Amino acid sequence: MGGFSLRQALLLALIAFVPAIGEAFYFRNQIPWNSPVPASELVKVETAKEWGAQALWIDARPDDQFARGHYANALSLNEDHWDTQLTNVLTAWSEEKKIVVYCSTQSCSTSRQIAERLRKQANLKNVFVLEGGWEALQASEKK
Amino acid sequence: MNLFWRILDLVIGGVFIVAGVIKIIHPLHFAYDISNYDAVPWAIGVRLAFYLPWLEVIAGVLLILRRFYAGALTVILGLTLVFIGATISARMRGIDISCGCFGHASDNLGFAWHLVMNFSILVAVFLLMRQVSRPRALA
Repeated sequence: MGGFSLRQALLLALIAFVPAIGEAFYFRNQIPWNSPVPASELVKVETAKEWGAQALWIDARPDDQFARGHYANALSLNEDHWDTQLTNVLTAWSEEKKIVVYCSTQSCSTSRQIAERLRKQANLKNVFVLEGGWEALQASEKK
Repeated sequence: MNLFWRILDLVIGGVFIVAGVIKIIHPLHFAYDISNYDAVPWAIGVRLAFYLPWLEVIAGVLLILRRFYAGALTVILGLTLVFIGATISARMRGIDISCGCFGHASDNLGFAWHLVMNFSILVAVFLLMRQVSRPRALA
């Protein structure tokens, strides 16, 4: 069965490209192909730091990671304790603030999810996701 | 006994068809699920989100129809091994994931259930492969 089944499997793997490409073409304008976050909702570390006191930093990582270290004055807000932690965020928030949400790395998706919830459930505007996350923040501190 | 193997074909094929169709309908949701594993860059994950569900559906359909049977079993075996590997790897890196196997329906499927389901499929696939390798079954 070995070689025969592998040849068949390879053929199926090739066939699957046809509908997949068709579907990707159909959704081509609805999918963020290069980043999970649209460019307009992303902010670079340098830009966010330039905002100074105008920025409200939100750490979307789990509590234990937040406890091990976080950006100065950042507030913890994650899915696990959304309701309790949101109160702290709303207390610190004001109209002129720009919210900067970060998680661990470039590829983590928690910051995107938290930013989305802040926009939709808490009706907050000017919510941005930090490019590169905590990793990039730490790297910028070392420079 | 033949009925048993047919039922097993239907169950495994059905699981892959349902899982694939849900993901085909919501490709972006599946792309985010892949992204949660933190295993591949987004640009690759989003492309896999379009490709993998179709592979699941095609393999599932062919398993039920018993066409390209050996190939379909091999694809399902490969996909299951990838899912198991990705789940264990994510767990070892401390990533708490929604498996994304069945779209939103599996959002609350924990690590243990995720593994039990995948290993059950793995055992079933091995049984089907063993059965199809027997000379009597090919006759």
